[in-house]
Amino acid sequence: MSVVYLLIPLGLLLLALSVWAYFWAVRSGQFDDLDSPGVQILLDDDRAPPPSAPDSRDA
Amino acid sequence: MDPGPASRCFHCGSPLPAATSFAVQVDGGAHPVCCAGCQAAASLILSQGLGRFYEFRELPGEPVAGGTHNWPAFDREAALRRYTHECAGGERELSLQIEGLHCAACAWLIETSLKREPGVRQIHVNASTARAELRFDPRATALSRLLARIHTLGFVPLPLSFAGGAAEGTAERRAALKRLGVAGLGMMQVTTYAVSLYAGFMQGIAPDLEQFLRFVSLLVATPVVLYSAQPFFISAWRSLLARRPGMDVPVALSIGAAYLWSVVSTLRGRGAVYFDSVVMFTFFLLLGRYVEMSLRHRAGLQHDALARLLPDSSLRLAGAVAERVTPDELRAGDRVRILPGERVPADGKIECGSTDVDESLLTGESAPRARRAGDELTAGTLNLTGVLEMTVTRVGQDSTLAAVSRLLERARGSRPAVADLADRVAAWFVTGVLLLALGVALYWLHADPTRAFATVLAVLVVTCPCALSLATPAALAAATTRLARAGVLVTRGRALERLSAADRILFDKTGTLTRGEPRLEGVVLLEPRLTASECLSLAAALESHSGHPLARAFAHLTPAAGVSEVESVAGRGLEGVIAGTRYRIGRSEFVLEGCARSATQLTDPGHTSVVLGDTAGPLAEFHLTDALRGDARDTIQRLAALGLVAAIASGDRTGPVAAAARQLGNVAASANVTAEGKLALVRALRSQGHRVVMVGDGVNDAPVLAAADVSVAIAGGTELAKVSADLILLGEGLAPLSGAIETSRRLLRIIRQNLAWAVLYNLTAVPLAASGLVEPWMAALGMSGSSLLVVLNAMRLLDRGDGRSASQPAPLRKVAHA
Repeated sequence: MSVVYLLIPLGLLLLALSVWAYFWAVRSGQFDDLDSPGVQILLDDDRAPPPSAPDSRDA
Repeated sequence: MDPGPASRCFHCGSPLPAATSFAVQVDGGAHPVCCAGCQAAASLILSQGLGRFYEFRELPGEPVAGGTHNWPAFDREAALRRYTHECAGGERELSLQIEGLHCAACAWLIETSLKREPGVRQIHVNASTARAELRFDPRATALSRLLARIHTLGFVPLPLSFAGGAAEGTAERRAALKRLGVAGLGMMQVTTYAVSLYAGFMQGIAPDLEQFLRFVSLLVATPVVLYSAQPFFISAWRSLLARRPGMDVPVALSIGAAYLWSVVSTLRGRGAVYFDSVVMFTFFLLLGRYVEMSLRHRAGLQHDALARLLPDSSLRLAGAVAERVTPDELRAGDRVRILPGERVPADGKIECGSTDVDESLLTGESAPRARRAGDELTAGTLNLTGVLEMTVTRVGQDSTLAAVSRLLERARGSRPAVADLADRVAAWFVTGVLLLALGVALYWLHADPTRAFATVLAVLVVTCPCALSLATPAALAAATTRLARAGVLVTRGRALERLSAADRILFDKTGTLTRGEPRLEGVVLLEPRLTASECLSLAAALESHSGHPLARAFAHLTPAAGVSEVESVAGRGLEGVIAGTRYRIGRSEFVLEGCARSATQLTDPGHTSVVLGDTAGPLAEFHLTDALRGDARDTIQRLAALGLVAAIASGDRTGPVAAAARQLGNVAASANVTAEGKLALVRALRSQGHRVVMVGDGVNDAPVLAAADVSVAIAGGTELAKVSADLILLGEGLAPLSGAIETSRRLLRIIRQNLAWAVLYNLTAVPLAASGLVEPWMAALGMSGSSLLVVLNAMRLLDRGDGRSASQPAPLRKVAHA
């Protein structure tokens, strides 16, 4: 059972790390807008501007 | 799908004017747009390859208003200092409120398009708050260029001055999130240790391992209590100082006592510890509060009326030099030149020039008012015709506009009677709980001292009246948010309660049931001396000098030239000389007085009419109609289905009122009713025990609105009526009314459900806890569950039957799926 004396402090260290990471995320505004980032990955593609020629057609 | 996407503007989705010559090329097809503004926006969006915007947006856009925006004024050093702040490397940062931003696709469009501008270092657009944070390099680009770019895309950017309260909400939310996160992470750890300890309690555990686990729990629980639970201690202390113990007193007491007891037990190495209960309790309480706070914030995201009404910039005269300055830079005593089409930047007095001013946003009087030298101007009003020079008298917080928006703000802050009741009850309840806890403590100290503390703790935790105090504000905020989304602004929380009980609804006619824009229906020549078109151009010439709402019916006609000596007689008509002849236009009595003839029969009593005459006699009669709003009939039917009996009370003549009542499905109508008459009508209905809703446009009916149980004003209504009205319809239609009534009824139902739940829960939980059957951790779970349940119940108000995308024209859908 003596392994818990090692594991629990390790867990505490992880806890401290997560709190730090969470604070950083909150401070940098990652929780300010929970709606648009989810849609933005759908929008951001590298499609070229549509050709201006009038005879181009849909695929 | 949409019935006719082909007849709607590709960009903004509004119906196309009959003959539009504007179009954009999309994937090989020409799509019509309604105006040059929309064409420019759509072309820019498409040419940058951002056409996907049209597939993903949730609402059609708004027509791109040309407007008079003077973006270069923002490039001046003073404006940059006011709206932006400097960050490292000479770059500048500013916040913008963006009008017309509806969804994530709009936010994406602005971000992507602006990122391609040289000099833009960073831009983040927040779709839920309609705010943008922009960082740019003033050496590489001008701020005006970026603002103009956003404007071209079809949105209106409003730079926010840095002193604004924009950051406050964000800071509050971030602090709450951090507290919640610490409590949540802490809870996970402490619960693990607690499970080990419970297991050890049952199967046996090495004493030093048990002591180790208790110390670790203490270590993790300490920041949760000292940091996360801090707001409870502060608020409990404040409520005690105010001698009005709130719901945070038992919370703070149980958290504090359980924590201290556990610390002492840990240090002494014997006795029970309650770290798990403490942390869990804190976490769930914070979760409930956080949900309630985000509901509140969403409700508070109304636009800043002040920022919207003031112009971006105006021309300040200093000696011979004229320079563009922002309204904030103006001081009392400054001299300002205001061009036609510009808004007045501050309260002031006209020095020279005369003009018509549209004061509709402030006074609700839809007709422009003539203003000349010496007259007062109010900030936010629109100069329509002439060039003015004005001396500024009041700016910023002293101005009329600021006073009005303060009133609105105050009204918004008021709470419904139910919420007050819940708070008052909570205060008694808390006192009762504390006495009960004391009694339980005394009993158990006699009966079984070892279990006394655990039992008292359970009683304190289990009875926390959070469900009681949290439920109502949360439900109210949810209802307000939902209504705001539907275009109804609630200025008084109390109104929603009364609205739910309403059974009579009284409408004003002009400007409420009708659009308030009279149209010319027909001309009847009374004497064949002149042709109809001659009469019309004479009428147009005279009416162009009038501010009367009826004059608008003539605005589209070409007026006869050479009008002089125009005089307006209030409430009766106009007199003026055209080409040597003296004409009168207005009420028939007024025209007949001018020519000493009598007896002209009005031909059709169903119309409002205006008579034109000269000194020889009346010439022509113009029939005007004011069309009913498109959704008036539907709305009245839906209101009837909800049990509200509609009636019309109008100051207009019998004919038009009866015609309107017939069109609306034979609703009861009374015509020729003065303001006092309407007041008497409302009072009579109320004395018969009816709950009356009064809907008006606000002109002259503020006292009537105030006498009704619930008053509703249409956005074009007076600002005064806005202050005295409980609900404001922001859009052009009446349709949101029935939705508002349904929402108010659901609100009341949900509040009652929540209160019933809270009472039931406490009635069952308290005896169990007092008799020592409930462990503190169970109490924490039960109480938190109860609070969460009521908040989630309140959130139901936000969801159902939203139907926001139902009427969405989707011109590109076909292309997208092809």
